[in-house]
Amino acid sequence: MTELMHTPLFGLTLTLLAYQCAMWAYTRSGKMAMLHPTISGAVLIAVALKALQLDYFAYYQDINWLNFLLGPATVALAVPLYRQLPLLRELAGPLLVTLFFGATFACASALLLAWWLGATQETLLSLMTKSITTPIAITVTEEIGGITSVAVGSVILTGVAGITTISWLFERLDIRDDRLWGFCLGLAAHAIGTSRAFERSPVAGAFASLALCLTGAFTALFVPLAVSWFA
Amino acid sequence: MLAGFLTLFTCQLAGEWLQRVLGLPLPGQVLGMFLLFILLCVRGALRDDAVPEGLSQGSQRLIELLPMLLMAPAAGVFFLGAGFADQWPGFIAAVSVGTVLTMIACGLLLKMLTRGRKQGHD
Repeated sequence: MTELMHTPLFGLTLTLLAYQCAMWAYTRSGKMAMLHPTISGAVLIAVALKALQLDYFAYYQDINWLNFLLGPATVALAVPLYRQLPLLRELAGPLLVTLFFGATFACASALLLAWWLGATQETLLSLMTKSITTPIAITVTEEIGGITSVAVGSVILTGVAGITTISWLFERLDIRDDRLWGFCLGLAAHAIGTSRAFERSPVAGAFASLALCLTGAFTALFVPLAVSWFA
Repeated sequence: MLAGFLTLFTCQLAGEWLQRVLGLPLPGQVLGMFLLFILLCVRGALRDDAVPEGLSQGSQRLIELLPMLLMAPAAGVFFLGAGFADQWPGFIAAVSVGTVLTMIACGLLLKMLTRGRKQGHD
């Protein structure tokens, strides 16, 4: 049995099992943000690995071809982006200005806060991609030399922070237009924010997907260039 | 659906190739995403606005799989080791306070920029 636990088959079975359990809990809880399958599934995998005394890095190697699918999945994001094209034209100016400002702000605020609290350069590099969708964040982080796990963790927790605060926050700021609501959530909280926006209204969801794709594209272009200039 | 995968893989391959040839600091799959987007725009302008059926299905499947594909890398947060212990305060502040500040700043900016335009559906 011990040899079997070090095979890709075991790693994949464990991953699929964790996903099914996580999905079940998420649906049963009425889609609670804290139980998002990426979060709860990751916890289940970590618990299982600790309980079976398996090495995380060996497990990660075993399921390598699942990680391979992140590549084509990133390319696939071009399809929803293309579908949002007519929506973009309508508000193009304000949205683009907000995109440039917001994506830079998301990156800079994270860097300043973490630097001020004593984070190392490696951690800082892994935080630059916190507001973009994970497949893009992973590839950019690998490119600039950050820690992938920290990057993914920061992306997921950013999503949770976004969806748990936005309703309260935008109520106070008196922003009720679904287009603005969705765009800001998609910009700051990527895919997790986008799925939350679809729960509010289809318009909010469409604008969130738009912001998700644009922020991802902009950050993927800007971060590696900025790092190569400053580092 | 397999025809869709062929399109996605080909775009990624072209993206990886461009990245190596031009020595760009951008990941190959991100370039692949831009290539596919441009292809769809050109196709839309010349022939047909709709996304081809196979590509639509293939990309939908992969995007639905994302939460699962992200679980294993996310689990790595629990295995960062003792070396990361002093990094947590900065990490938590960046993802919580940073995100809330970003939403406030973007919300106010976008509200200001769209003032005077007609309101969207509530």
